[in-house]
Amino acid sequence: MLAIYKKEMRTYFTSIVGYLFLGFFLALIGLYFYAQNLYSASPNFGYALGGVMMFFILLVPMVTMRIMAEENKQKTDQLLYTSPLSVTKIILGKYFSILSMFGIVMLITCIYPPILSKYGAVNYKMSYACILAFFLMGAAYMAIGLFISSVTESQAFAAIMTFVVVILSVFATQIAELLPTTARTAWLLFSVLLLGIAWLTYVLMHNITVSIAFAVLAEIALFALYRVKPDALEGSLLNVFGWFSISDRFVNFAYGEFDVAAIVYYISYCVLFVFLTIQAIKKKRWS
Amino acid sequence: MIEVKNLVKKYGDHTAVDHLNFTVEKGQILGFLGPNGAGKSTTMNMLTGYISMTEGSVTINGFDIYEEPEEAKKSIGYLPELPPVYPDMTVREYLKFVMDIKKVPRSVRAAMLEDIMARTQIAGVADRLIRHLSKGFKQRVGLAQAIAGYPEVIILDEPTVGLDPMQIIEIRDLIKELAQKHTVIISSHILSEISEVCDTVMIINKGKLVVMDSVENLPKHLEHSMSLKLLVKGEESRIRAALAPVGQVEKISVERSEQEGLLSVSIGTKNKTDVREEVFYALAAAKCPIFEMTANSMSLEDIFLEMTKDEQGNAFGASAAEKEDGGKEKENEDAAGEEE
Repeated sequence: MLAIYKKEMRTYFTSIVGYLFLGFFLALIGLYFYAQNLYSASPNFGYALGGVMMFFILLVPMVTMRIMAEENKQKTDQLLYTSPLSVTKIILGKYFSILSMFGIVMLITCIYPPILSKYGAVNYKMSYACILAFFLMGAAYMAIGLFISSVTESQAFAAIMTFVVVILSVFATQIAELLPTTARTAWLLFSVLLLGIAWLTYVLMHNITVSIAFAVLAEIALFALYRVKPDALEGSLLNVFGWFSISDRFVNFAYGEFDVAAIVYYISYCVLFVFLTIQAIKKKRWS
Repeated sequence: MIEVKNLVKKYGDHTAVDHLNFTVEKGQILGFLGPNGAGKSTTMNMLTGYISMTEGSVTINGFDIYEEPEEAKKSIGYLPELPPVYPDMTVREYLKFVMDIKKVPRSVRAAMLEDIMARTQIAGVADRLIRHLSKGFKQRVGLAQAIAGYPEVIILDEPTVGLDPMQIIEIRDLIKELAQKHTVIISSHILSEISEVCDTVMIINKGKLVVMDSVENLPKHLEHSMSLKLLVKGEESRIRAALAPVGQVEKISVERSEQEGLLSVSIGTKNKTDVREEVFYALAAAKCPIFEMTANSMSLEDIFLEMTKDEQGNAFGASAAEKEDGGKEKENEDAAGEEE
């Protein structure tokens, strides 16, 4: 695992991507720190981070797109999977390298609250809780990016897919608010969601029959619900989009609440997607 | 050392590997021969645990590749079709990384690195980025990667592709040297390569095992394994009449030869029986003097073509093309030999 980790870290720092990620990220945090805290004379560092949050749509694909897709394309995955390393160790090594890149940014970010204290009273607890929550939120997005990169050979595809998924997640509630709350819209959107899940089951199991059967059965159930009890679907979009909204949960931290449920939620996201990545790779090889 | 039982790989309805069974003993060099698409790479990928098998089992050094992959993979060095190298690493960095993931003890790494680079003759490019190396050098780096950690089993998928004739000879010598301490499996569609290096040959076609035997014993598996070529004076009908009673003769073809009054006769025999004596006496009795007689054993190339024929008796287009490749390869070698 350490071998993979070291190799990935070296790759980040021997290519432009690593520096670009660090530089871009730090510049953004600095900019928002200036705008939200210094210029607006606000002691709440959470506001600055809240502003940077939406840049995850660029930063996450940047740091994750290459991670597995490039191995698949160069066929170097053959070296890794025929070495005495388990898939779990390979993926964890890679995931930790992503987290380290992000961790470097977050460590440097830790100097902002003391800087801010020069100008007034700063709630350190709250500021560092925000940084922790921000880190975990990013880690959850990066686990999704890792998963997407592992199911493709193309960095570009991985980048675009990650971009789309992160954008949908960041703006999930805003999008849901814009949509009509009718049962019909909900039914249509849930159908699209089902297709996505069916695709996921195909990636994980490589069994087209199961995936189609799942999609058809779930669609029948959904349609039945829509016909028999449309009230249940009405207004449900906002709720369901809320479940998937990683960024919504950060708001509580910015307002000063230490939301343990959100921490658990983020960590579950990370674990789930790292697990899915490992399973998808095992399935691809063992099917 | 390597035990393969009932190995099957199916892609949907297509069966890429069909019930393969074989064992390879320690110190053996097994040559894996077959036309393109015969299932060579698929089999090797299953042997090394890169892809799964649909059915069957592979045991390496006593460890099942599916049940105990980490243990089994410790004794494998694998060079796939494309060398699995990272273009943005230098050769030295890459080999260090490989030794790292193969869990080579730290104390022996430096010495091992020098040794494998010397053996594959890449010490001169040790500090260059792999991206800037030629195909031949990349192949050698791939080979160095396979022998890193001195695994007991070395599996090489077409190791000499992309190399020039001199390098091919060097790699062959290296493989022979490796076989003294390791078990080696190499695949190739080039026949001369297999016959030079391997002691056992396995021919597969359409995923099925056609034959597995030592290089010397292969001709035994053929129907017409021996043929005679004669230069005889006489008329065709008399020659045919004289040869007809000779047992074991299967087919006779008579053609005019370049020399006036002499006919060139070729005889195919069953079961590799030597009929030279009978032929001599039969033709002598018929007063058809023999001017020349040569016995031909079939070459490995003929055997290969014969064995990978399909039911209709047509040799595969692919295998015919490969025969040519093999021939060219030999010529190249000869040329290289002369240069020396």
